[in-house]
Amino acid sequence: MKQYRLQVMVCAGTGCVSNHSFELKEALDREIKKHNLQNETEVVYTGCNGFCGAGPIVVVQPDGIFYQLLKVTDIPHLVEEHLLKGRPVKKNLYTPPAEKTPIPKMADIPFFSDQTLIALRNRGMIDPEKIDDYIARGGYKALAKVLTSMKPDEVMSEIKASGLRGRGGGGFPTGVKWETCKKAHGDTKYVICNADEGDPGAFMDRSIIEGDPHAVIEGMIIGAYAIENVHQGYIYVRMEYPLAIKRFQIAIQQAREYGLLGKNIFAKGFDFDLDVRRGAGAFVCGESTALMASIEGRPGEPRAKYIHTVEKGLWDCPTCLNNVETWVNVPQIILKGAKWFSSVGTGDVSIDPWGGSKGTKVFSLAGKVNNTGLVEVPMGISLGDIVYKIGGGIREGKKFKAVQTGGPSGGFIPESMLDIPVDYEELTKIGSMMGSGGMVVCDEENCMVDMAKYFLKFTQEESCGKCIPCREGTKRMLDILERITIGEGTEEDLLLLEELSNMIVESSLCALGGSAPNPVLTTLKYFREEYEAHVKNKKCPAKICRQLLTYTIDQKICLEIGHGCGVCKKNCPDAAIIGERKTVHYIDPVKCGKCGACYDVCNFNAIIIE
Amino acid sequence: MPRLKIEDLDKIADQQRRKMTVREGGGKAKITVHMGTCGIAAGARNIMSTFLKEIEAHNAHDVILTTSACAGLCSREPMATVELAGQAPVKYVDLTEEKAKKIFASHVLQGKLVQDYALSIGSERIQ
Amino acid sequence: MVTVKIDGIEVQVQEDTPILKAAEKAGIWIPTMCHSELFEPYGVCRLCSVEVIRGKRTRIVTACNYPVREGLTIQTNSAKIQWIRKIIMELMLSRWPNVKVVSEMAAKLGVKESRFPSLERDEAEDACILCGRCVNVCREVVQAEILAFAHRGIKREVVLPFGDQSNKCIVCGACAHVCPTGHIKMVVEDYKGKKPEFTLGVKTPISVPTLQAVPRVPVIDTESCIYFETGGCQTCAKVCEPQAINYKMEDEIVEVEAGQVLLTTGYDLFDASKLAQYGYGRLDNVYSSLDFEAILNSTGPTGGKVVMKNGNEPRSVGILHCIGSRDVENHPYCSRVCCMYALKFAHLVHDRTDAAIYQFYIDMRAFGKGYEEFYSRLLDEGITMIRGKAAEVVERSHGINGDGSLLIRCEDTLIGKFREIPVDMVVLCNAIEPRHDIEAIRRIFSISKSPDGFFLERHPKLDPTSTMSDGIYIAGCAQGPKDIPDTVAQAGSAAARILSIIAKGEVDIDPIRAFIDEKYCAGCRMCNNLCPYSAIDFIDDKKISQINDVLCKGCGTCVAACPASAITGKGFSDAQIFAELEGLLAI
Repeated sequence: MKQYRLQVMVCAGTGCVSNHSFELKEALDREIKKHNLQNETEVVYTGCNGFCGAGPIVVVQPDGIFYQLLKVTDIPHLVEEHLLKGRPVKKNLYTPPAEKTPIPKMADIPFFSDQTLIALRNRGMIDPEKIDDYIARGGYKALAKVLTSMKPDEVMSEIKASGLRGRGGGGFPTGVKWETCKKAHGDTKYVICNADEGDPGAFMDRSIIEGDPHAVIEGMIIGAYAIENVHQGYIYVRMEYPLAIKRFQIAIQQAREYGLLGKNIFAKGFDFDLDVRRGAGAFVCGESTALMASIEGRPGEPRAKYIHTVEKGLWDCPTCLNNVETWVNVPQIILKGAKWFSSVGTGDVSIDPWGGSKGTKVFSLAGKVNNTGLVEVPMGISLGDIVYKIGGGIREGKKFKAVQTGGPSGGFIPESMLDIPVDYEELTKIGSMMGSGGMVVCDEENCMVDMAKYFLKFTQEESCGKCIPCREGTKRMLDILERITIGEGTEEDLLLLEELSNMIVESSLCALGGSAPNPVLTTLKYFREEYEAHVKNKKCPAKICRQLLTYTIDQKICLEIGHGCGVCKKNCPDAAIIGERKTVHYIDPVKCGKCGACYDVCNFNAIIIE
Repeated sequence: MPRLKIEDLDKIADQQRRKMTVREGGGKAKITVHMGTCGIAAGARNIMSTFLKEIEAHNAHDVILTTSACAGLCSREPMATVELAGQAPVKYVDLTEEKAKKIFASHVLQGKLVQDYALSIGSERIQ
Repeated sequence: MVTVKIDGIEVQVQEDTPILKAAEKAGIWIPTMCHSELFEPYGVCRLCSVEVIRGKRTRIVTACNYPVREGLTIQTNSAKIQWIRKIIMELMLSRWPNVKVVSEMAAKLGVKESRFPSLERDEAEDACILCGRCVNVCREVVQAEILAFAHRGIKREVVLPFGDQSNKCIVCGACAHVCPTGHIKMVVEDYKGKKPEFTLGVKTPISVPTLQAVPRVPVIDTESCIYFETGGCQTCAKVCEPQAINYKMEDEIVEVEAGQVLLTTGYDLFDASKLAQYGYGRLDNVYSSLDFEAILNSTGPTGGKVVMKNGNEPRSVGILHCIGSRDVENHPYCSRVCCMYALKFAHLVHDRTDAAIYQFYIDMRAFGKGYEEFYSRLLDEGITMIRGKAAEVVERSHGINGDGSLLIRCEDTLIGKFREIPVDMVVLCNAIEPRHDIEAIRRIFSISKSPDGFFLERHPKLDPTSTMSDGIYIAGCAQGPKDIPDTVAQAGSAAARILSIIAKGEVDIDPIRAFIDEKYCAGCRMCNNLCPYSAIDFIDDKKISQINDVLCKGCGTCVAACPASAITGKGFSDAQIFAELEGLLAI
């Protein structure tokens, strides 16, 4: 076996790939050969590291030196200095915002050091396309343990005792779900992995699949074993995740070759196989019944779940559907025990499975924070810690305004509630939700009406249109928000919006409609003064809603500093700017189309927006 | 590829251990070869290759080999620091391939310091 | 059985019954828009939302698909439910303000107008309200799966595959039947190249073919029945309590051995659309005589009312004689029955409506018993008789004063003028013509046709019911156009002829027959096809031909044709003929 001195880990998550990490590897290989280091250095692709804002990422082991924002042109220097001479290249290291000294080691960077890894434990450590790498990290040991020394019921009670709850949004206790599926009548049952991650800006499932596909597979095999009578599973991945699909297919192929999928796994008489099903990318297909309809080849539309899918799901057979992140937790719980898992988190799940939130949760942190990317945090950590410690605070020293959790149908949480712990019930109580783990941070420059409108627009467009409240209602809500943002809203509109939102929550067919008004309801609740400013004063406090802004020219600056340069006049598409060269310019408020072109072109910051 | 037996999981893990040790950190011993310009000029590359060959030959997958910049004692290059887990690092100077092999066999593998080639125990303190 | 409490009323139903049905049993009305008994609950209108209380938990569920459990308490009309329903109706009203079912339901639920202005407002009265009933009936009942929803959210619409007419559509009309707004319409037109027999509107595939028949058994038309197209529907089997529907029953070929056959195969009606000038099949309210017969029938599509396609009574009706008959281009003969049924039509129309009636005739032929008297009576009733064959029927352009939407042009030969008569309805007296398959039947029975195409009788005056083939008789319009009394008389005569032979028990045949000498027959089969009476069979075992004595008429064709001279006429052998000749010469 060839032994290498150095391992250069090139991140091949989608984020880094689109930032040319494949080209980086080519350059690395070339340079390494040039310096005759190919016998002591191995360049490896890894799954997503999570710090996608810093991509493309390269980590040099054994020292764990973390390089960020690399370009192909940086490679020759990096190879010569670091790989050959052992001197980390400072300019490509990570420097925390507002500091000067870079942090060379990955483990010392707060973004990484404050995370607790269970679901993402193999990130950056293994080549996702090599099953041996996964096995080297203890992979398939849990499966071996289950098949040799545990009865299905024992597996079930272990999962129940761990307090693991669905990571896809609902937070349904996984053990309870498995048990109901097991008790349901039927000789043929299915397990499904929901990898139809449709939230804008959320990518934890994709990242897990791309970085550690075997962990999902192992979790599913264990689940199938525990539920019994399950011999076929499906992984439903959206077509927009080509890399994830490819890695899954490779992983399934490798697992089959090793006999970890198929007939008679580990010669223990248990049969189970997996297939990938690709979705066309409709948001609603993440809903379990719509997803199953889609696998069956019907239009992806939800149905009423008064009879649960664990009793009558795919092809009317009992079906256990779990999210990617839920499945990944399973092998770790089996290996390390329910106690270990439930020691992390909030509440007590020993009596009531809904009694607390255990383990960790992966969030995709986005928005106005310094460090954006994928973070795995223990349940119970406060939102403030995520934003300020892991996220490194608000960009450019601006003021925090709100954080939205749970994807496009999650609620906005104001600053006063930042000490709320990450916990299913706590988040629901304040009008948001755990969701699948999207987390968008807004600063003072975000208009909350505009944000609510943005997310509602998404859910409204993604509504399947089956039931009236969601199809018609969300569109009418959007109409009202549209009116408010262009200054035509009235105070009655606010009441109407609230009433309609509440009604949609109560009467929609599925959770998409039932949660779509959340952004509107929470902003109405916590940021009502912003709505009122739009409606009563016809002003947008964050200066986002263009139709509510007035543009004027500071005459003093225009004349004294700019000397009436006339650039604004030249660029105004509405011919709304009056004034000759070398004299003061004015904006005709009637003609002004509020496009903001003058503001963008003025070299002297003479344009005032109010 | 053959179907795996449960025992095969450990075998595969074993084969991959070296790689994982490098990635995960830890390990029994860490050898740092000082590769400043002076070191390279004095033949540090050879020393490094020797160590690497030794690791391969002994299948010592829990030994980490790394490099650093000039240690500041250019006249005594090539130099290397051997650090066993939980022990103070030891600096060796004026290395040759023979010496390197000896150090590897004795210090790294058996934990016996090679007094003759050692310069000092411990590192300079960094302020 | 479980007990549930709906609005305070306790009701016992089977477990898992939907709340909607349980409420029905309790006599409680729950509004619905998308629901139908025909298919599984769809649950999209959400109007049937109700509150379900189980222990401490209160949930809002849809009544159409929520299965009841023991001890449920259900509130169907709480303030919250009323509020939800009102907003749903507001949302619907804002989009479809003029659809009747929407505004009616809104009124029922106390909603007058919507507070939501809508960009997607659709003013149409028959707009699609996306209830999905058509889609569900097509998928679940018909199982054709032609209709489906396309696009997401507010852009959702019901479409055909690829947005175009699909040849997989079986044109069953189920979607139009369940559509609550009339958005889906059925258009009668050529379907798969077949013209409907009667262009009078939609007819179900199950019908009683002959109402007067005993037993009066309905049949399924397998060509239009949904089950035979897709395997779906089977609604009739579901509702038939004695379970008498048998889809597997098939047409049978029954073989009957008979010594004598009476052919009464009837006639076809001349296809009036061949004469484009009369507009049949092109203009609304132009009917053939059989169409009109159906209209007049009290079990027909209009229940016997004389009405036009738009449902109004016609103000005037024109009856055109001799369509296709007495016409050198088509049938030169007279169809004999038309004058009299035309008078009957006139009489019935006069009886049932106030319409003015015009008859366009060449000659009136009222030759039977009491016929002329009927004609005179009709003239007294005020029927306008115009002597002259109608030249054409055209559509009247709008705005012209007059009493009709159609215009009949003709030359009135009695007054020698060209006339244009406006009418609302036109009835064509189509010619009687030989059945389209008469040639095939003729061949089977080895009988002949007369030049007009009908079966040829043995003698027009002395033997009008039998044919040249013994045992084959003809009667009715298969022999030539005739009315019912004539047909009955002819058929009765044929029956008597047949019975007389049966009573006798044996058949007299002429002694003259041909005979094949087996010794000389080479089995060439030349005679087999030559025999005009198909009396010669080939015997495979012996490889020779043999003559059926009963069928052979002794015509001698085979005798002359046999190359081996193996056939001789009985009593007409060469030796006998030569002997006869010798005898004659000896005198």
